[in-house]
Amino acid sequence: MSGRVVFWYGCNALRHGDIIHGAIAVLKALGIEADPAGGPGYCCGTSKDGNLGAAAGMARRTVEKFNASGRGTVVTWCPSCHRHMATFMQGTSTPHFGVSHITQILHARRAQLAPLLTRRVERRVVLHSHLGFHEVDVAPLVADLLRLVPGVEVTVADYAAPGHMCSALAGTPAALKDVMRTTVDLCAQHGNASLVTIFHACQRILCGLESSDGVKVINYITLLAQSMGVELEDEYSQWKNAGSGQAIVDRIGPERLARVGPEFFSKQILPELLRRPEK
Amino acid sequence: MRAARAPPCANISASQLHAQVCRQRMDERTARLLAYVERNVDHFAAACTRCGKCFEACPLARYSGKLAGQAGGAVVTGILDLLQGRGDMPAAIEWARMCCQSAQCVKACPEKLDAMLMVRLARITALGSTGRAPLMADAKRDPNFFRRINAFATLQLTDAEIAEWH
Repeated sequence: MSGRVVFWYGCNALRHGDIIHGAIAVLKALGIEADPAGGPGYCCGTSKDGNLGAAAGMARRTVEKFNASGRGTVVTWCPSCHRHMATFMQGTSTPHFGVSHITQILHARRAQLAPLLTRRVERRVVLHSHLGFHEVDVAPLVADLLRLVPGVEVTVADYAAPGHMCSALAGTPAALKDVMRTTVDLCAQHGNASLVTIFHACQRILCGLESSDGVKVINYITLLAQSMGVELEDEYSQWKNAGSGQAIVDRIGPERLARVGPEFFSKQILPELLRRPEK
Repeated sequence: MRAARAPPCANISASQLHAQVCRQRMDERTARLLAYVERNVDHFAAACTRCGKCFEACPLARYSGKLAGQAGGAVVTGILDLLQGRGDMPAAIEWARMCCQSAQCVKACPEKLDAMLMVRLARITALGSTGRAPLMADAKRDPNFFRRINAFATLQLTDAEIAEWH
């Protein structure tokens, strides 16, 4: 792999600026210049199972953009994008690049990473993992990375939730509730441990446990960046735990609200931020 | 560019003929993706032994009343019938709907098939995406999906980052 890669963070990770900025910072510290790419213009098409034409168009457009970039490697963040690239996307266009998941890249460079993690982060953590994403066995890789952080005590629970991310359980609410209950219990059993997520969708769905159950939820890349001295605000979590709609609005501020549009914010963003984890 | 019209052939099934007609009406990139789907459907139809171990390994099946008490082999047969356009077994449709990509079915398959892909293809088929009549509603259809993503990008990235990265 050359020193310059595409870092493909996908679509839904855009709820978590700390994750995107943290990943770029960690890659850069390891000598990997990442050209970030994401958002709807780089959608893999996995959400379009009901519209094969749209899925094909999105998949081809994204593969062709990566081909045109001239980068030999695309580093993925999202397991859905990674999986879709290995299957359906190759059915629309031939990729001229290799694909690695970011956990593989970081784990392979953990000897380089370790001396960069100079700040202590005093936390006992439970690693939140899922059964799925069989393409890359991410949980042991992330556990190894977390063990590099001075002050972090990793409790790798033997519990892995169904699905490949929590969002995959949205169609089966009873299963998601079970995951929530079990997760809260695990953190309590391990001395009120913090919960470390691997993927953005789990961070999105679980971060509200901070105000409902006193469980601090942090993504592993934000934690690694923190230990490198890169402090990143997990604003999505702050909004989710702000306590009221007005408190969320106050945190975001009038300038940013105006850019989104107050009506769209009220109808499409605020309800998501006010939604509580159900157990 | 339109896909080349396939010659009439007396040795193809009704579902294959239907797929050919659909392909003649779609653009080249969609036709390529549909061909990918069909290649895999043919592969699963030929290689799957219908043992049902993939269904038995699914951690989500226990959450559905429609799947309770179902025999794995019967549900998998329903999935394969669905894929080949000759069945609409409610349990098969429900399993395809519920799949949350745990990949336990992949590990359980004695034939080393990607059973998760098989179920995903059944879902795509049941949604009517391959040209057949839809057998389930698309719960993921959301006209504001990308607008919300853009809104969160606006809240958390700079204008320069959005311009350069998107």
